[in-house]
Amino acid sequence: MSPLPEVNYMHRLRLDERELLSRRNFYEITQDDLERLAALRPLAERHSVQVVDSLYDLILNHPESRVFFPDDDTVRRVKRLQREYFIGLFAGRCDLAYVEDRLRVGIAHERIGMAPKWYIGGYARYLRLLLDHLFGELAPAEAQAAYRSMLKLVMFDMSLALDTYIAANLDTVARHQAAIRELSTPVIRVHHRILLLPLVGTIDSHRAGQIMETLLLRVVEEQARAVIVDIAGVPTVDTMVADHLLKTTEAVRLLGAETILTGISAQIARTIVQLGVDISSMHTKSRLADGIELALALVGRRIADKVEHAAKAEAEA
Amino acid sequence: MAAQVLSRAELAIVTEDDVVTVRRRVRDLAHQRGLDSFATAAITTAASELARNVLMHARRGTAVVEEIANDQRKGLRLEFRDQGPGIANLERALAGGNSTVRSLGLGLSGSKRLVDDFHIDSTPGVGTVVTVVKWARF
Amino acid sequence: MAAGSIPILRVGANLLVTVQTDLHDAVAEVFQQDLLATIEKTGAAGLLIDVSGLDVVDSYVARVLADTGRMAKLMGTETVIVGIRPEVAATLVRMGYSMAGVRTALNVDEGLTMLPRK
Repeated sequence: MSPLPEVNYMHRLRLDERELLSRRNFYEITQDDLERLAALRPLAERHSVQVVDSLYDLILNHPESRVFFPDDDTVRRVKRLQREYFIGLFAGRCDLAYVEDRLRVGIAHERIGMAPKWYIGGYARYLRLLLDHLFGELAPAEAQAAYRSMLKLVMFDMSLALDTYIAANLDTVARHQAAIRELSTPVIRVHHRILLLPLVGTIDSHRAGQIMETLLLRVVEEQARAVIVDIAGVPTVDTMVADHLLKTTEAVRLLGAETILTGISAQIARTIVQLGVDISSMHTKSRLADGIELALALVGRRIADKVEHAAKAEAEA
Repeated sequence: MAAQVLSRAELAIVTEDDVVTVRRRVRDLAHQRGLDSFATAAITTAASELARNVLMHARRGTAVVEEIANDQRKGLRLEFRDQGPGIANLERALAGGNSTVRSLGLGLSGSKRLVDDFHIDSTPGVGTVVTVVKWARF
Repeated sequence: MAAGSIPILRVGANLLVTVQTDLHDAVAEVFQQDLLATIEKTGAAGLLIDVSGLDVVDSYVARVLADTGRMAKLMGTETVIVGIRPEVAATLVRMGYSMAGVRTALNVDEGLTMLPRK
């Protein structure tokens, strides 16, 4: 599962010029602010190592947050990135390129599982440290103006990191959900172009829909000509389940493959007929082995057709 | 079900080309909202059926296409309104129809099975409003 | 040879049309008429309709395709619809729209094996 690039999140979060402008307005980030921050770059560079070290002192001394930084190499690497990030606050710009850059923070944190509470705490320390340095080096009025500009931009950055974290988190959940769905519909390739789907457990409407979708995708993926659906592991086969099986069979047929239903016990056979459900349009067998044999016969016949076709084509060429 | 509306567009349904326009718009939004291929096909097909219904039975109408969100997920809400003859026997139409409004019935009952929420308001002589919702799978 | 703006290809004794754009009213009429006229003229043994490019097939388009197949069959031409996508198949069965009586195949190659050679 490849990670989504930042640009995709720009699109997902609809971070275009309009949104950027709207957000900058709301956070009251003006050109003055950016110029003020740019003027402070030398100061920032002078203190960047100390500020970042101090930030990581906080993180590494706290047992719960330390786990995210298991070894020295990781810490070194992350400190370097953090210094770049810190200096970036004084770049004097707040455009889409800046935003794209900042999104990385949210994505990276989500990837390692670092919840917002940690980096919000980290931001808080940044601001405190900066406050000290600014008032330490500049005249009070200047320091205050600089701090106000800094505050706006840091909050802006935080909003981006949070938005991205949330979006990335939703993606992770979606991926997990997809994996769970796949696991509960294990489609097995038992032979060239023959698939087997052993259904186990109760099947409700929702699951039935998922099963059909997964099966259809696999039919195309494997170019299957026959699909065996074994229901020996399904405890109850009622009208609803039968209806879903019929629908799935028809959908598989539309793709050009045949379905064979196996695992029909005496009990299920009685239930189906007594319910009045007509599944005579489907190939059905009691034993799985018979189903596989039928599938091979169906596919074999088609392979023979293809060979015959190719032979005739050769002869006519 | 209080949902927040993220975007709204009104599309006129007057010609066959408009049905195609509605379909394209719905398909694009479905992709943006992260609906998978099955959900996208479902809502786009439903939109096509309902837009076509408007054209066939009322000659003209409007489609309102909205992107919506609630606490947990995002989705699409579509509304098809017309001032056509209305449907006298809704239940029968939804069950698959009588022969005279068979195509209408099929379009409605078919669409109903493709969406998460389906609501229809129809008064003979006044018009019809069909509202459907499809959520992105969480 | 064309059915409306859709080109018709000859593959041996069979015809192949690839539907990529939406088949709405006027287009569908012309498509059907031209296709049948071509079948009449060429006496094609089989017809392949490739819909692998369609990600949406509503009941109208499904009916046009199925009807075209049935009309061709009346004229002695076997029809196979190929390339129905998973999401299209799922949508059609969910709607309850049956394409019963229409032969289908995964793709053009498969479809050809189902048609007469001569």
